[in-house]
Amino acid sequence: MLTLTSPVETPLHRLPAGAKLAGLCLATVVLFRLDSPVPLGACLAMLAVLHLALGLRFASTALRLLVPLWPFVLVIAFWHLWLGEPAAGATILLRLVTAVAAANLVTMTTRLSDMVTVIEKIAAPLRRIGLSPRSLALAIALAIRFLPVLSQRMGQISEALRARSPRRAGYRVLIPACLAALDDAEHVAEALRARGGAG
Amino acid sequence: MAGTGTITEQGITLSGASYAVAGRPILSGLTLSLTEARIGIVGRNGSGKTTLLRLMAGLVAPTEGAVRIEGADPADRKAMLRHLGILFQNPDHMILFPTVGEELAFGLRQMGESAERAAAAVDALLAAEGRAHWAKAATATLSQGQRHYLCLLSVLLMRPRTILLDEPFAGLDLPTQARLARRFATLPQRLVTISHDPAAVATADRVIWLDAGRVRADGPPADVLPAFTAEMARIGEADADADLAG
Amino acid sequence: MERTLSHVALFAALIAVLGFVPAVTLPFGVPITAQSLGIMLCGTVLGAKRGALAVLLFLLLVAVGLPLLSGGRGGLGVFAGPSVGFLIGFPVAAFVAGLVVERWTAPVALAALSGSVLGGIVVLYAFGIPGMALVLGKSIPEATGLALVYLPGDLIKCALAALVTRGIAQMRPGALLSRS
Ligand SMILES: Nc1ncnc2c1ncn2[C@@H]1O[C@H](COP(=O)(O)OP(=O)(O)OP(=O)(O)O)[C@@H](O)[C@H]1O
Ligand SMILES: [Mg+2]
Repeated sequence: MLTLTSPVETPLHRLPAGAKLAGLCLATVVLFRLDSPVPLGACLAMLAVLHLALGLRFASTALRLLVPLWPFVLVIAFWHLWLGEPAAGATILLRLVTAVAAANLVTMTTRLSDMVTVIEKIAAPLRRIGLSPRSLALAIALAIRFLPVLSQRMGQISEALRARSPRRAGYRVLIPACLAALDDAEHVAEALRARGGAG
Repeated sequence: MAGTGTITEQGITLSGASYAVAGRPILSGLTLSLTEARIGIVGRNGSGKTTLLRLMAGLVAPTEGAVRIEGADPADRKAMLRHLGILFQNPDHMILFPTVGEELAFGLRQMGESAERAAAAVDALLAAEGRAHWAKAATATLSQGQRHYLCLLSVLLMRPRTILLDEPFAGLDLPTQARLARRFATLPQRLVTISHDPAAVATADRVIWLDAGRVRADGPPADVLPAFTAEMARIGEADADADLAG
Repeated sequence: MERTLSHVALFAALIAVLGFVPAVTLPFGVPITAQSLGIMLCGTVLGAKRGALAVLLFLLLVAVGLPLLSGGRGGLGVFAGPSVGFLIGFPVAAFVAGLVVERWTAPVALAALSGSVLGGIVVLYAFGIPGMALVLGKSIPEATGLALVYLPGDLIKCALAALVTRGIAQMRPGALLSRS
C-alpha cells in the first residue's frame, strides 16, 4: 500500500511516534497563539531549514504535499491585498502553511505500523464502551486489504458497463460498486467467523 | 508439516439436517455420519455443496435437525478452530489481510498464540515452503492460484483435525493441481473435498453425490462415480440450462 | 459483531475508492468528487451507528498517512488545513443521514434524500464553515460565502445518494442495513 511515509530514511524516523504526535499537538497550539507574521515566518523558516537538513529529495516531496493548498492561498492572498491588509493575510497564510507542513512532517517520518500501534494505545480506554483495540487494528487491516480489491472491482464494473453501452459509465457504477462492497462485507464476516470471529 | 489430528470415530454427524432460505429448501433432511479419512462430495452447480459445507462448518445453523462435529456444536467457531478448518471456494472471500504474513499469523493469534510466536511460526512455515519472500508480499498482488495456496497454508498452519475443502482445484493450472493433490494425500487430517469434478475425489474412501439438496448416492467412489459421470453426461446431452433455477 | 466490523471496514474502503474517481468539474470551475457521496452513502446504507463508524475509520486511515482524501491528500496535515471542519463533520453527517433513513418510514428514496441534505449539507456545513473560518481567519458569513461554491455539487450528490440507496433497496432489500 502506498503511504505518505517517506522512503528516504531520516533520523526523525527513529523517534517514537507518540513523542512526535505530542510534539505536533504542542506546535499546533503554539502556531495558533502566534498572531503576527514575523514569529510565524521564523517558525516556517526553521521548519524549512529542518526539511533541507533532512535532504533535498525529502524536502521536495514535502513541498509537493503542500500543493493542494494553492486555491486557499490564492483566495486569502487576493482577499487581503484587496482589503489592503497584507500583514493579516500573511499571518493567516504563514500559520496555515506551517501547521500543515509540521503535520505532514510527522506523517512522512512515521511508519504506518507505528501509527497504528499509537492509535491502539490511544484507543485502549475505549475498551470500556466495547471497542477493543484489537478489533480496531483488525478494521484498519481489513480496510487496507479491500482498497485495491474495491478499486479493481470498480474498474471492472465500469468496463462491463461500457462494453454494453456507448456512454461513459459515470454514476451508473455507483449501485454495483455499493453492492460489491456489501457482498464483500458479508463474505468477510463469514471468513472472520470461520477463523474464530472478531471478539 | 504434521497435523496433530487423529481421526476419531465420532467425526461429523448430521441428523435430519435441513437448510432453507426464505422458505425455499436448499438442503433437505440430510442424515450422515462422516468418519472416513477422505470424503468426497460431488454434485452439479447449485446442488447445495457449498451450503452443506457452511452447515458443517457452523457458519449457518440448520433450519431443522442438528449438526455435530466430534460431538460438539460447530456454531461456536472459536472452540471449533482446533477441530475444523475451512478452505473457501473463492480465496478472495477468505483473505482478510493486506500482507501474506499478517494473513497467516491471524489464525494463530485467534487460537491464543502471542504475536511473537505467531510471527515465528509463520516465518518457519514460509521457509519450509520455500516462500520466505512472501511474508511481506501484498495479498492483492498474488495470482489467483497463489492466493488459493495462501488460503490453504493459513488453514494448515492452524492444524485442525478436519479440513473442509470447497472446490480446492478450481482455477488452478495442471502442475499446481498435481502438486496440491500430492500435498493433500500426505496430510494426516480428515479431508472433506467438495467438487463438481469426479476426478478430484476418485481416490476418496467415500463419495456422496448431492442432487438438489438431497443425497442421491453414497458409497465408495467405484460405485458412486460411474453413475454420477453417466448422469452428468446424460444431462449435458439434454438442454442443460432448462432447470437452472432448481 | 463480525458483520458490523466488516461493513464498517468495507465502507471505509469504499469512501476512499470513491475519492479515486476523477473529479467532475461543474461549469463554473468547482471540482466535485464522489468522496462526500461516499460519506452520505455510509449513513443511508449502513445506518447511523455503522455509517459513522465507517467514516471514523476512513478518517483514521487518512490520519495514519494513507493518501485517501480526494486528490491524493492525506496524513496529519489535512487536519491542520482549511477542510478540518468538514473532516470532523463527516462522521456526524453520516450519523444524521443514517438516523433519518432509520427513523423516518417514508419511501426510501425520499428518506435518503432528506437524510443526505440534512446530514451531508446542513450538518456538514455547520462543522465545515466554522473550521474554515478559524483556519483562514475569516468571519462566519465570509467563510459561508467561500463554502457555498460547493453547494450545487453537494446537492447533486444528495440526489445520487438517494438514487443509489433506492437502487440497493430494490435489488437487495436485505442488504440495506439502515432499514433492516
Ligand atoms: N444465501 C442464499 N440465499 C439464497 N439462495 C441461496 C443462498 N445460498 C445458496 N443459495 C442457493 O442454494 C443453492 C445451492 O447453492 P450452493 O452454493 O450450495 O451450490 P453449490 O453446489 O456449491 O454450487 P457450485 O458448484 O456452483 O459451487 C443454489 O440454488 C443457490 O442459489
Ligand atoms: Mg459451491
